[in-house]
Amino acid sequence: MAVRHDPIVGKYAYVTHAGREYRVFYEEAGEGIPLVCLHTAGTDSREWRHQLSDPEINSNFRVIAFDLPRHGKSIPPPGFEGEEYRLTAKFYSEFVMAFCDALELERPVVMGSSMGGNICLHLALNFEERLRALIAIEACDYSPGWFISWLHHPEVHGGEACATSVFGLMAPQSPPDYRWETWWYYSQGGPGVFKGDLYFYSVDHDFRELNERISGAVPIYFMTGVYDFACTPEMTNQTAGKIKGSEAIIMEGIGHFPMSENPVTFKKYLMPVLDKIRGAAVGTGKEAAGAATGR
Amino acid sequence: MTAFDPRWMNAWQDTVNEDPAMKVIDRYFTTDFLIGFGDKEYLVSMREGSIQRITDELSIETPWTFGLRGPRESWEKFIQRVPPPMYNDIWAMAHPLHGRLRMDGDVKVMWQHLRALTWMLDRMREVQTA
Repeated sequence: MAVRHDPIVGKYAYVTHAGREYRVFYEEAGEGIPLVCLHTAGTDSREWRHQLSDPEINSNFRVIAFDLPRHGKSIPPPGFEGEEYRLTAKFYSEFVMAFCDALELERPVVMGSSMGGNICLHLALNFEERLRALIAIEACDYSPGWFISWLHHPEVHGGEACATSVFGLMAPQSPPDYRWETWWYYSQGGPGVFKGDLYFYSVDHDFRELNERISGAVPIYFMTGVYDFACTPEMTNQTAGKIKGSEAIIMEGIGHFPMSENPVTFKKYLMPVLDKIRGAAVGTGKEAAGAATGR
Repeated sequence: MTAFDPRWMNAWQDTVNEDPAMKVIDRYFTTDFLIGFGDKEYLVSMREGSIQRITDELSIETPWTFGLRGPRESWEKFIQRVPPPMYNDIWAMAHPLHGRLRMDGDVKVMWQHLRALTWMLDRMREVQTA
């Protein structure tokens, strides 16, 4: 009997940003509208394996998930051993676009969760002409309280502490196997990487005075699970209420990691969003051609 | 059994000590921590990953490393079979955004043993409650 494979292919791309070249790992599957998926803080693109493998998604979208430098299989830049890692909104948003440019993606959809959701606001503000739509999962304009020293401390096991600190962000209704798989991804982050990402998540990302500056030219779909205690539905609703061209979708029975903790529940909420994005693409001749040819 | 009374706490102790995962996830969990359900407080003495003793005989001379104290209503939601959002986890309750549980004392010890601590507190949902 033939071995069973996921349809996912992994590759390494060299991406240049601010004069530095980064070796970036990414996974992809499918053809169609480019859909770039951003992992959460301290972990990597494995979180997106269900969506990458789903034929109902990858038959219409070229689904791509990459590991930020220092995450997963993307190695840190030379000199990391002497630096304190702190992710900033500027680097993160520019790097997402540099990756999209390197792969020559034409007006991709960017879908990210947690810090990957928060960065969507910065992408909307600064790169709207290069994007088709944004799916900001578990995102809001300000999410304080996570930049804490215990997550990178020589007397605390970083893997276990980081992973357990996020475990309760998942809903009790989510299948235990998927919750523990997410825990496992978190347990594998490099030292200080989760905390460094949380510098962006809880400190550098303060969008409260910027919400109204987003033009609304790019649709933003906010999607937040009711068990997310880091970015609650109220926080998402308040943010979405200030941003033109956005829509807030509150997901029942799910938490902060929809794509990995409960892909079945997440899909029920995601498919109508993807259908809308496809519908918009089919609505004009130019976009339809783009959707059909994909890359 | 009424939640959080001494009999209930002893039933929780048995549940934790019989749990197979507790025997492997943190054999180095040795400390005395405080847990408070409203006005009712207990000292939980952990020795090598097991609960050796739980007592409510506390005085100002009773040493403890870290404390987890919150209103009874927070804990009553926490121990529900399917706890509601914002009450399903101690860090969810204690996060600065929510403040439904107070973590204090030498919290480094708590972070060192967060995995086992979380696991054993989750076992409270398996204790029969009147």
